[in-house]
Amino acid sequence: MIPWHLVFNSLAQATTAAAFAAPLLVPAVILVLCVIAGCGTLLALPSRKEAPWTTIGVVLVLAAGLILVALLVRNTGGAFSAVGGRGCGMGFYFWVFCSIAISAAFRVITHPRPIYSALYFVLTVLAAAGLLILLWAEFVAVALVVIYAGAILVTYVFVIMLAQQAPATPGSDREDCDRFSREPALACAIGFVMGGIFLFVIFDKMPVEFPRHADAPQAGVAVAAPGVRELGQYLFSPEQLINVELAGVILTLAMVGAIIIARRRVAGGTIVEDEPPAGLEPSPASLADNPHDIPVYGDSGKGVGSFFPGPKPQR
Amino acid sequence: MLGLIGFMTRRNLIVMFLCTELMFQGVIVNLVAFGRYHGDLAGQAFTLFVLVIAAAEAALALGLIVLLFRRKHTLDADSWRELKG
Repeated sequence: MIPWHLVFNSLAQATTAAAFAAPLLVPAVILVLCVIAGCGTLLALPSRKEAPWTTIGVVLVLAAGLILVALLVRNTGGAFSAVGGRGCGMGFYFWVFCSIAISAAFRVITHPRPIYSALYFVLTVLAAAGLLILLWAEFVAVALVVIYAGAILVTYVFVIMLAQQAPATPGSDREDCDRFSREPALACAIGFVMGGIFLFVIFDKMPVEFPRHADAPQAGVAVAAPGVRELGQYLFSPEQLINVELAGVILTLAMVGAIIIARRRVAGGTIVEDEPPAGLEPSPASLADNPHDIPVYGDSGKGVGSFFPGPKPQR
Repeated sequence: MLGLIGFMTRRNLIVMFLCTELMFQGVIVNLVAFGRYHGDLAGQAFTLFVLVIAAAEAALALGLIVLLFRRKHTLDADSWRELKG
């Protein structure tokens, strides 16, 4: 999913330059490649299979990817230089970042252990940031790295660390839910059908469906590479300012909501079902501002009526 | 797309939300590329808002995961299969 729009970006230029009318990839080729990659992904997902099948799956996916790349290379006649002003083209770095991103994303979904999935996700984020830098969107790229790899992934790693559980069956080193996938065949079929449709639309309809905004991107450097200053001016212009404010409100809401959802009411680490909410004694895990007056949902199975113990809830 | 497959396939709750974030990555790169193609800054601006929403959703999702884990002491999504209260 990630790189194809960049591909048609530069291919649109190559089209008018070379003026060929045949579609870049015939739908049959796309279908075959999607089937091969789908079978490969299916084999590579965690399941009861032994190691050789997983390797075969990875090899299949790699083969499909390489065939796609080779076909694109051949059909565009080798138009790979980074076009000046646009900055992205089909240059060498584009392929590097794309391959890293796709392989890391593939490992995210197929690795049995969740901590490795998180680490491969960091790699995907970095590769996506590289792609964004190629698109001259430096601010978004750095924001992506800082917000995703810096904050969200760190939180994920903490939650993975805190939510460890013992393996269900003795003799296996991972949780039972990580060993078997859930409907892998159907999921792969659906996913690759969608991917195939996207590829088909891009490559088969491309000369017709995407009218070139003919000379605007190539007119000058000022238009082709808007910098951080222009982005800031755009965001704080009167039409867009309210969006920024709403984003801040949403972040505050999310912060408050997350704190309320995940609060504990019982001291220590154990949750006892149907225990009456003990709001009278302060627990070591409580916050300093007396949170016991605020009802917490989900920690006891008693229903709404038991949410108000002795102290009155503060409004 | 790979995120979609992973989301439907994996049973570990944490990995499922990780695949949701994967889908966000694809959307972000797409948005910026389309904005660049049309020479409009709205692509990048909207990307920043998508980032905001993704961060908020990740925080809330992880809070929910922690809560669900406390109930069942497993991260298996299939343990929540029945609609029993």
